[in-house]
Amino acid sequence: MDIILIVGALALIALFIVAQYNRLVRLNITVDEAWAQIEVQLKRRADLIPNLVETVKGYAKHEQGTFDAVVAARAKATSANTIGEVAAADGAVTSALRGLLAVAEAYPDLKASANFLSLQEELSTTENKVSFARQFYNDNVRSLNQAVKTIPTSFFAGMAKVSARAFYEIENAADRNVPNVKF
Amino acid sequence: MAQSSNFRQLQSANKGKTIFLLVSMGLLTWLVAYAALTYFGAGTTSFVIPLAVGISLVGVWGSYYGSDKLVLTMTGAKVIQREDAPELFNLIEEVVIASGLPMPKVAIVEDSAPNAFATGRDPQHALIAFTTRILEIMDRDELQGVIAHEMSHVANRDTLVSAVAATTAGAIAILSDFLTRMMWFGGGRDRRDNNQNPIALVVSIAIMILAPLAAMLLKSAISRKRESLADATAVQFTRNPAGLRKALEVLAADTTVVRQQSNAVAHIWIESPLDGKSVSKLFSTHPPIEDRIATLRAMESLGPTQ
Repeated sequence: MDIILIVGALALIALFIVAQYNRLVRLNITVDEAWAQIEVQLKRRADLIPNLVETVKGYAKHEQGTFDAVVAARAKATSANTIGEVAAADGAVTSALRGLLAVAEAYPDLKASANFLSLQEELSTTENKVSFARQFYNDNVRSLNQAVKTIPTSFFAGMAKVSARAFYEIENAADRNVPNVKF
Repeated sequence: MAQSSNFRQLQSANKGKTIFLLVSMGLLTWLVAYAALTYFGAGTTSFVIPLAVGISLVGVWGSYYGSDKLVLTMTGAKVIQREDAPELFNLIEEVVIASGLPMPKVAIVEDSAPNAFATGRDPQHALIAFTTRILEIMDRDELQGVIAHEMSHVANRDTLVSAVAATTAGAIAILSDFLTRMMWFGGGRDRRDNNQNPIALVVSIAIMILAPLAAMLLKSAISRKRESLADATAVQFTRNPAGLRKALEVLAADTTVVRQQSNAVAHIWIESPLDGKSVSKLFSTHPPIEDRIATLRAMESLGPTQ
């Protein structure tokens, strides 16, 4: 009888440990996936930029400064590695693109062209996807960090080789709260 | 209605209420079983209850399992591909990323009333559908709110919740039907053990007759809580209560009603298609749209939520 009780208690403890361990690992994987999603969307946006710049150039030749700013921001974004760098470059691209689209406002022919309209739709949806991916990533980092720092999951963080992760912080705090970028 | 709560509080409140209502459903079933036991005795009851639960289970779970296909047939929705509506797909992909759910199937219903619904037994088999009209009249933000509401039903497994509610309500209805018929035809002779309390018998009869009504009320209340929950979860996904609020205002202002006013699928639409009929508030599958708008407005006034 006593042996059954002891074995039962040990089994329960083992189950508990496994559950905590798996929860940490699962959270960590979700954060990885969320990060991959951010990279996918940033890549999509980077791929849109040359086409967009060419299209605007066709109508607005004299805005070289704006084009250069966009191209420079894109180059910096594609070479960024750490989360901090990627986030900073992401913010720079967003504001450079805003400048470009503000320029486009002054050219009615450009604004009416089918090519520009479809690029604009692509760009707004990609910007939204970037910010939703960011939001999803940060939500998951929040859950992970909470689990790493609170009892009982904190006991197993070392064993699961899971540690607190960095948030994706962009410089302009207002941008973070407005997922719907309107161009 | 909770005063100016954020979406997290609203979500847990609505989840709590759902559990309470589902437990009430369970208690109601137990009450009916107990009434049957009092009135007819163990012999009949042990035969009738499994039968009623069985019939209901087969009926409802069949339609739950094939919900995505069944609803397509019932509403005349057609599944579309990305090329058919790239902008709609863009918007849905945005919400998919925000929610972390898999991409659902997308369908269109040819209808002059603006409306939308979600179905499917799990997130992997989810389907969301829109009427042609809703795509015409809503702007990007509003449509995003509607999509987020539908994806919230998927995330919250509302097809499952309503299947559980429908099974229980169905079992209670079938059971009550059996038992009242048996009463009229003088069935259940095994009850005469002569020490029955007449008051207990009368109460049993009352329970058996009233239970289906109570089950219907509970089922509608569960549906309403799931709608409020989906509104709150939609805000979690988009962090933009204004989009869904404006969408609901558009739906409220619109008086046209989806053509197929089938009661069977009424609960799945974002706005109740039975508005035209005078459905009493207690039996309504949706909370009053004004209340939903007010709740979202309260969330807006909280400012951006992290």
